[in-house]
Amino acid sequence: MRLTLFVHPITDLRLGGETRIEGAALTVGEEELRGALLQDGRLESVSFEVVRPGEHARIGGVFDVIEPRAKQPGDGYDFPGAISPMALAGRGTTHVLRGMTVAVLGEPSGSVIEMAGPWAEWCPFSALHHLVVIPRPRPDLPRHMALNARKQAGLRAAAYLARASLGLPPADTEMYESDGPSQPRVEGVPRVAYIAQVHSRQFVAEVDEQIVYGHNTTGMVPVVLHPNEWLDGAVLAPNAGLNVLTYHYQNHPILTELYRWQEEGRVALVGTIATMAGGDNFDRDLNCTLAAELTKWALGADAAVLTKTGGGAPHADMGYTAKLLEDMGVKTAVMVGPPNLSPERTVESSTLFNYPEVDAIVFNSGGAYFELPAARVERVVAPSPEAAETFFGLEKLAASRVTGVTSQQGAQRLRALVY
Amino acid sequence: MRVVHYLNQFFAGIGGEEAAGAPPEVRDGAHGPGRLLQQLLGPEAQVAVTLVCGDNYAAENLEQLTAWALDRVREAQADLFVAGPCFEAGRYGVAAGALCAAVQQHLGIPAVTGMAEENPGVDLYRKDLYIVDSGTNVTAMRDAVGRMASLALRLLAGEEVGPPSEAGYHPRGLIRDAFVEETAAQRLVRMVYAKATGEKYESELRGAVFPKVPAPPPVIDLGRAKVAIVTDGGVVPKGNPDRIQGNAAQNWGAYSIAGVDDLRAEDYEITHGGYDRRYVEEDPDRMVPVDVMRELERQGVVGKVHDQFISTSGLANPIANSRRLGREIAKKLKEDEVDAVILVSA
Repeated sequence: MRLTLFVHPITDLRLGGETRIEGAALTVGEEELRGALLQDGRLESVSFEVVRPGEHARIGGVFDVIEPRAKQPGDGYDFPGAISPMALAGRGTTHVLRGMTVAVLGEPSGSVIEMAGPWAEWCPFSALHHLVVIPRPRPDLPRHMALNARKQAGLRAAAYLARASLGLPPADTEMYESDGPSQPRVEGVPRVAYIAQVHSRQFVAEVDEQIVYGHNTTGMVPVVLHPNEWLDGAVLAPNAGLNVLTYHYQNHPILTELYRWQEEGRVALVGTIATMAGGDNFDRDLNCTLAAELTKWALGADAAVLTKTGGGAPHADMGYTAKLLEDMGVKTAVMVGPPNLSPERTVESSTLFNYPEVDAIVFNSGGAYFELPAARVERVVAPSPEAAETFFGLEKLAASRVTGVTSQQGAQRLRALVY
Repeated sequence: MRVVHYLNQFFAGIGGEEAAGAPPEVRDGAHGPGRLLQQLLGPEAQVAVTLVCGDNYAAENLEQLTAWALDRVREAQADLFVAGPCFEAGRYGVAAGALCAAVQQHLGIPAVTGMAEENPGVDLYRKDLYIVDSGTNVTAMRDAVGRMASLALRLLAGEEVGPPSEAGYHPRGLIRDAFVEETAAQRLVRMVYAKATGEKYESELRGAVFPKVPAPPPVIDLGRAKVAIVTDGGVVPKGNPDRIQGNAAQNWGAYSIAGVDDLRAEDYEITHGGYDRRYVEEDPDRMVPVDVMRELERQGVVGKVHDQFISTSGLANPIANSRRLGREIAKKLKEDEVDAVILVSA
């Protein structure tokens, strides 16, 4: 299956009368977009702000970050299963507005995008333009419905903006192609799979929480997905965040890296597994065993990389899945890190599994105890004036609060070094 | 700079295994590898005294040896204590580690030693000390002593020691955060590729070694036993009277269930942020199963249910802290003559 991205760079973003793209400048038709989003009667209102790179600004209360993308008509639907009918994601052409995001805000969230100051160098979003979308669901709605409305508003805005590029020639084209597990084995080229947790059952998913093709993952067992499905809107960040962003599913650091190695002929990316961290021992054993089994027998992988979502129990589940894989002869590497809250800062306290075979570990910082001074900002964009107050006077910020600095999806560059 | 150096019977030239029972002695100046140490520490350094002890004697009398050594180091008015290098010699390494740790703790002066990775002294003391990786090869003495000397000089000058790979010591297991050029994704793919193709790779985290805790003998007659419920799920009386933190809790509480058959939701709250609390808030018996235990007590399956349950929060609780909490709780339960514990974990 091949996914082609038509990349349209955006270097100028503004609100205006009519939505259009001219060169690399996107004008967002504010009333048009508002009208489109308020078709969802669950929203009372929605506001928009534009934040540009280089501004002395802080975006506070980040709920999710989404890259504007739209399917070429006929090649599928935008965020299928979530805001569109179900269709297989990851094939045909998708238009991408690169250089900007839709940043969805909502309370309660302490996450910030730092556009200036010491954190800007490390925050992956400081160099991008943002259309900040602040959806305001009706106050009488049950919480889960409000969250669903908020999430959908962001996704709709992202698709809406990208549709402005349909029919425009792309500045760049990217292609992602994999024949999956049926591709013949090539001597010396390891077959690699990626196993990612998409949710943790430490948190009960809301009935209408949309994670995999709009499914909330309750009752799910691990499934095989083609790598392109992650890149093309099939998987979304959960309500609780858990150091996962929809933007980093669309631009998945690990999948894009594996594709790069495949381009160079060094690995064969045979597929991926989406799994969940268990809610109890039985659930855990079932998910870990099936994830391992699918990797070995359905994907025919020689090696696998694993990531988690959430905290300690997911960490332990990931370790156990890796151990089962090693028992089956599949070589593994796992990524551990946030939200390691242990204040003791020792290896001993960070080791939630200890299998001799699981000996290839990337160790990210938990981020909670690494602080840099917060920027002196002139402008704060937040879900409410009260929230903006709290985000204005910050003196320092821990890594765990800056959007995209701690990442379960591989974007993180803050490492935990062992001394 | 005055240095006290510790050697075993072999490196002090007394003899091999047959001399392992040699009692502790003090010698003036530097002996054996101590001469090299003195040279590599620089012209300011002087090994004032060398302490020598046989490995068996040390292993069998470690407490007394330690007290004796501390006195000698005080007398010598030492600025620095060095032991070994011990290479693979296990009894030597354990003694060296114990002495260095005691000097560091009680005398507050830097202490350095060297051992091979396999030496049991490494796992016992790596958290507390700088243990240079001497490797197993005694012919690499100069290199090992050289690194011990450099490390010692840095410690004396109050300078940053640097990461294990640079300064040549066994990782102590302390974490420091730092930005690196490559993303975690890049490091992860590179690592799995190396592993899959049989190339060398270096894990960013190597598992901790936990000492084995021997299991106590089983309860012979449960029908005569007093059983207590202990939880790390953070169930506490409403108001959290003991102010147990939900995260890295420093304390625990013992709460009366005398005459209680069933915990009521209105009497309790949860101090623990790591699980979905709704179901336990609805019925605390789900975490602290008083209702079931009372049934078992009535049926005679269990002799008696202790009239208190003990609670703390296990969330992100550092191991050293958890060990302390566990010991304290065990002590209290022993005083209460409890025979067995049901430990319910979140």
